[in-house]
Amino acid sequence: MTGITALGLPEARRNEAAALFRARGVPHRRIEDWKYSDLKSALGEGGIGAAVAQWQILHQPDGVELFDLTQSNPPEWVLANFARTTANTMSAASLALSKGGVALRVPKGVCITNPLKLDFTAAGHVRALLVLEDGASLTLVEGVGPGHFRNVGFEFVLGEASVLEHVRVSPDAGEAVLVEEMSVRIGAGGQYRAHFAAFGSKLSRMEVEITLAGAGAQAHLSGVALLDGKRHSDVTTHVIHAVGNTHSTQLFKHVAGGNSRAVYQGKVTVAQGANGSDSNQSAKALLLGENAEADLKPELEIFADDVKCAHGAAVGDLDAESLFYLRARGIPEAEARGLLLHAFLEDAVAEISNTDQRELVRTELLTALKAMA
Amino acid sequence: MLDIKNLHVAVGGKEILKGLTLSLQPGQVHAIMGPNGSGKSTLSYVLAGRAGYDITEGSITYNGEDLSALKPEERAAKGVFLAMQYPVEIPGVTTMTFLKTALNAQRRARGEPDLDAIGVLKLVRAKAKTLNVSEEMLKRPLNVGFSGGEKKRLEILQMAVFEPKLAILDETDSGLDIDALRLVAEGVNALRDPSRAMLVITHYQRLLDYIVPDRIHVLAGGRIVAEGGKELALELEAKGYEHIVKVPA
Ligand SMILES: Nc1ncnc2c1ncn2[C@@H]1O[C@H](COP(=O)(O)OP(=O)(O)O)[C@@H](O)[C@H]1O
Ligand SMILES: [Mg+2]
Repeated sequence: MTGITALGLPEARRNEAAALFRARGVPHRRIEDWKYSDLKSALGEGGIGAAVAQWQILHQPDGVELFDLTQSNPPEWVLANFARTTANTMSAASLALSKGGVALRVPKGVCITNPLKLDFTAAGHVRALLVLEDGASLTLVEGVGPGHFRNVGFEFVLGEASVLEHVRVSPDAGEAVLVEEMSVRIGAGGQYRAHFAAFGSKLSRMEVEITLAGAGAQAHLSGVALLDGKRHSDVTTHVIHAVGNTHSTQLFKHVAGGNSRAVYQGKVTVAQGANGSDSNQSAKALLLGENAEADLKPELEIFADDVKCAHGAAVGDLDAESLFYLRARGIPEAEARGLLLHAFLEDAVAEISNTDQRELVRTELLTALKAMA
Repeated sequence: MLDIKNLHVAVGGKEILKGLTLSLQPGQVHAIMGPNGSGKSTLSYVLAGRAGYDITEGSITYNGEDLSALKPEERAAKGVFLAMQYPVEIPGVTTMTFLKTALNAQRRARGEPDLDAIGVLKLVRAKAKTLNVSEEMLKRPLNVGFSGGEKKRLEILQMAVFEPKLAILDETDSGLDIDALRLVAEGVNALRDPSRAMLVITHYQRLLDYIVPDRIHVLAGGRIVAEGGKELALELEAKGYEHIVKVPA
């Protein structure tokens, strides 16, 4: 076992990651991918530091295995899947600096009904790995705790015909700078379903790269952002249809009030020969004032023939006619606005399959909408 | 109940209503007829309080109060209801949720207690039946994918549920076949009441065969150019607007 440290982790991969980060430095707005999220200026003098952030399992259902990455002698499933090469700058930083993290596994064929609840908290860098073996299924509820600057690197490995529903709620985090880089690899017939609800912070960046690696693999992404004040929220996705007969959908709805900024950058790549791929991408934003901003950038990169790809983006205001209609029927203006905003977000929320989680996100949105009215 | 005096209304800086005077008593049904573009919908919107419809001269008094000083929702709570020519589609809000929210908002504004979900459901169901509004329609998002006739029936259902004091029906007949027209007219007639006034706006005389008005006003070029009893409608139908309407230059 050469290249494994006392901690048991693949040291060579960490060194590579450290070199990559050193070469690139902290991303800033002159880097195309980070144009709307100037991490360097948001962090200021302090930079990314070298602190280690925390992870916390609030509920670990029976059947889910856990390995603490600071421990020695990692099992084979960790060695096989942890820290696959990454080209992502911030993911390289978390790998180089995290020193530990958590690895989770649902073994082959095991279906877990109770959600696994995982929170990231405190400031610094942290890594996580979730492996669903063939035929396994799980609901992951990810919580985003406080922490001035946190950088999470999260890897997902979904085996054949496995099903993961991932719900991530990022509450209003005030002045925090939060970065999370996810990479998801889905085997044949596997399904990744994710919903990201964001209430923003000084800078919030959530980036997910998904590889549909086996025939019949599916990814369904949805998300809502509800931003006020000076909040920022950036969702950047890259879905790669590496093989044919794969399917992806994306539905993001953002509401930006005050001086806030909502960002969606979504790239779909259909690789050469990935015929019969099907992708649908939609991002919409409502601006509630002249100082709010939304940047929506859906993008297609197709190298195959015979594919079905649709994408669209639209930024608008709350519809004046609808507002008048509701008010003319007696609904006060603030309530009518709330109703319309909620209605605007609803179809993205409805994408959450888990009933409890769907209700939870709905309640969070209603509370935030009341506070905004 | 409603007193409109020398009303001038501008939309986007352009004067649309140019001195309209009209008075409506409780229990009365008045019709407003007029060619397309004569300002009928403008009048209905200004009564309901839509933004962008500026009163540049004249007044609207409703039960002794200056109506123009009230917000749209305040007017609704005080009993003003406009059945719109083009009801708005609102995806994401089910018809039933909308009805409950609106009814309770009006009740709250009047200091009445909220009706619970079951109370609203019972009330709506009873009225929906006679207007041939199905359960399934009530579950759909408001007006989304409704046919023209369904939208108009839903407007009248709302009128039945909210029980307004002053109802303005803006071309509720347009786009309806004869059966739907009859259904809507019956719904409206069922709501005729000594305490309720109605302003029925229409382009065609047809509706007035079913909803017989106490008085007809003909609107053209932003002014009332002719007035009379119900026989005026027949005259308009026979001769067309051009013969009666001397559109002011
Ligand atoms: N929002 C608007 N902006 C500018 N002009 C308008 C607007 N709405 C209506 N108008 C104009 O006002 C006039 C009257 O329109 P409207 O009240 O809709 O007439 P009617 O309902 O009798 O057909 C028309 O000339 C129309 O073009
Ligand atoms: Mg009209």
